Amino acid sequence: MNFGAKRANPATLIPHVYQLLLTKRYLTSKIMPLLAALAVALCTAMVIVVWSVMGGFLVMLINSGRTLAGDVSISWPITGFAYYEDLIKRLEADPEVAAAAPMIETYGLIGLPDGRTETVQIKGIDGPSFSKVTSYDEILYWRPIDKPNEKDTTRQDLRLGKHDLWKQLFDGGKRLVRTEVSKVDGKAVERPAVVPGISVSGFNFREPWGFYPGLPYIRTTEGDKKPVDMFMLPVDGTVTLNVLPMDSKGRAIEMVARTFPVANEFHSGLYEIDHKTVFVQLKALQDMLKMNRAAKIDTSGGGVKLSKNPNEEAFLPPTIVSEDPARVTNVLVRSKRDSFDMADAERLAERVSKIYGEFAAAHAGKVPESTSIRILTWVDQNRTMITAVKKETALVLFIFCFVSLTAVFLVLAIFWAMVSEKTRDIGVLRAVGASRSGVAGLWLLYGLAIGIVGAAFGFALAYVVVTNINEIHEWMGRLGERLSALTGTQINLFIWDPRVYYFTKIPSDLDPTHVIIVLCGGLLASCLGALWPAARAARMNPVQALRFE
Amino acid sequence: MLQATNLRKTYLLGRTKVPVLRGVDLSIQEGESIAVLGASGSGKSTLLHLLGGLDSVDKVGADVAAPSIMFRGQDLTKISTGKLDEYRRRRVGFVFQFYHLLPELTVLQNVTLAAMTALGAFEYFRTRSAVRAHARELLERIGLSHRITHRPAELSGGERQRVAIARALINKPDLLLADEPTGNLDRVTGASILDLFTSLHKAGQSMVIVTHDETTAARSDRIVHLVDGRVQAG
Repeated sequence: MNFGAKRANPATLIPHVYQLLLTKRYLTSKIMPLLAALAVALCTAMVIVVWSVMGGFLVMLINSGRTLAGDVSISWPITGFAYYEDLIKRLEADPEVAAAAPMIETYGLIGLPDGRTETVQIKGIDGPSFSKVTSYDEILYWRPIDKPNEKDTTRQDLRLGKHDLWKQLFDGGKRLVRTEVSKVDGKAVERPAVVPGISVSGFNFREPWGFYPGLPYIRTTEGDKKPVDMFMLPVDGTVTLNVLPMDSKGRAIEMVARTFPVANEFHSGLYEIDHKTVFVQLKALQDMLKMNRAAKIDTSGGGVKLSKNPNEEAFLPPTIVSEDPARVTNVLVRSKRDSFDMADAERLAERVSKIYGEFAAAHAGKVPESTSIRILTWVDQNRTMITAVKKETALVLFIFCFVSLTAVFLVLAIFWAMVSEKTRDIGVLRAVGASRSGVAGLWLLYGLAIGIVGAAFGFALAYVVVTNINEIHEWMGRLGERLSALTGTQINLFIWDPRVYYFTKIPSDLDPTHVIIVLCGGLLASCLGALWPAARAARMNPVQALRFE
Repeated sequence: MLQATNLRKTYLLGRTKVPVLRGVDLSIQEGESIAVLGASGSGKSTLLHLLGGLDSVDKVGADVAAPSIMFRGQDLTKISTGKLDEYRRRRVGFVFQFYHLLPELTVLQNVTLAAMTALGAFEYFRTRSAVRAHARELLERIGLSHRITHRPAELSGGERQRVAIARALINKPDLLLADEPTGNLDRVTGASILDLFTSLHKAGQSMVIVTHDETTAARSDRIVHLVDGRVQAG
């Protein structure tokens, strides 16, 4: 005979009502499970916060890297390629392309006003067209501003006043020119100028409130700083650029040096760029590197043929047989799409590749072949940095996840104690017909419930922390200052010092996918912690359990 | 209804084997009320646990007759644990000396607990109103209909034992197994509980009551004396 016509299947994944009921009761009537939930909540929150901050850091770095790289770059380094205007015209005719801009990328030396010489990456750009493919306008530092940043509570930022000066510098920076009064005729003339990164000159010291005071200081050998006479690089400073031009076959010609006024300075947010990059007017750099348009003279017969005008003493100019077009090393391309991920970048790179192929075919033999030219997305260009930060994020996450394993052991310890406390209840459940798997299921369900409660609170806590991380950080910093004043010992709780990290605010990016992964991890940890006590409860002899005191 | 033969059970006390049951035979007829009478340690509770499928009998050698508990033609000593769980869910109801109510649940929830284990979640929710109506009817019969939302801690000993009886009856079991049901109660309360058992028996409920009290045992149809793990003749 069968003992029941409608037999419940104990192996079913759908919980029994008694499991749900007891889970609810145990959850609301005891302090211990709430402690377990708290452990899960804290661990979940910790991992979400860490992942959000690291993720935000990565996003900020990528955006900063992308700021000056465009979406796709066509590059033929050092010697460059000609007919770039035609290439730009072809690119801009494509419906996916918003704009394209020429650029020359080279390395050189910069002579600074204090006598130092540094190696820098020099980028020759045409300001207006470069701004169309990058965020160049937005990173020019000296500009009029109406609102100080959050940390500048005493409005010390120089840019808040003298709007005319900042407006003039901003305008000059955009076009890479500085207006100066001619010593000859007293007229205002625009001179080609450079825009170095904010850290190139070494005059700008980032203040704790996240901006540059503008007035230069010099560092003393003791590592301190002291003010020098009133002088401002973009107002009256000049620098000397030294570059080495190459001929079309890649042979060095001779070093060329030229002094430029400084039009403005830029602040991309990436120290490597802000410390080692100088923008200069494209035309000026083309001249220096001999990449400008040039007349080609007749050299057939083994040299320059010079002829004399029979009526005059002087030689006639050599015969111009053709013209060498101007060259650039890069053409940067920007997509029309606002949101632009890595896959979009790859797709755009393919289109650009096709367009370049047509361009190369039209100028066969005069421009690099489409198989040789380098066409890179902004991801490719910043791969080293992105990979490094991703690896760092993974490592930090691994460490924090490992630390979060404590939640598993805490749940295990608390559940172990609870199973002991509820031994007689387990005996009763077995006596009224609960199966071993049913009893195990009860404790696992309980573990899951603890996980759900913990993960939910953890997410709420993480959300509050991530969305207010800068306010919390400020509060901690002020607390540290108060403690320092009270104890007489230096206690610095400002972890995120803008002088070190370059971003004035702690970045954060609460990615829903990451949040879901962490929450699932929290649930899994809780269930894992409940697993052993659940197995113990299921193995209990019901008779001994009923006799337990 | 139930025929137990040659039941043996030995417990380990440290390294020492302590035989509790040494070959007990017992038969229970439909509607019969049996009292198992014996001193402390005579094996009464162990016998009850074996009959209720809570514990398993000792394995014996080939030279000894195999123990068996035949319930409606099926040997409980040979069925799977799943079927044994089912047997406890539907065929028997336990009443313990110390009530063993779950402290977090209300009276009504304690009574319906056995029904919750017997039915899957969907089935329970489908029949919930009928189950609860049956529980209320049982609580009405035992005079606790006004206490359904109370927790065990708010009840007297007698009330708790009544709730335990209602819990044992919720699945309409074939056999009620009571282990010293009045052992923890005063005389008057104990008598009222025994009255309840008598009324249940009169309504046709088969039952086995384990007790060391002869007055309690005297209320049953038949008394089985258990001495040193064996049924005493006469």
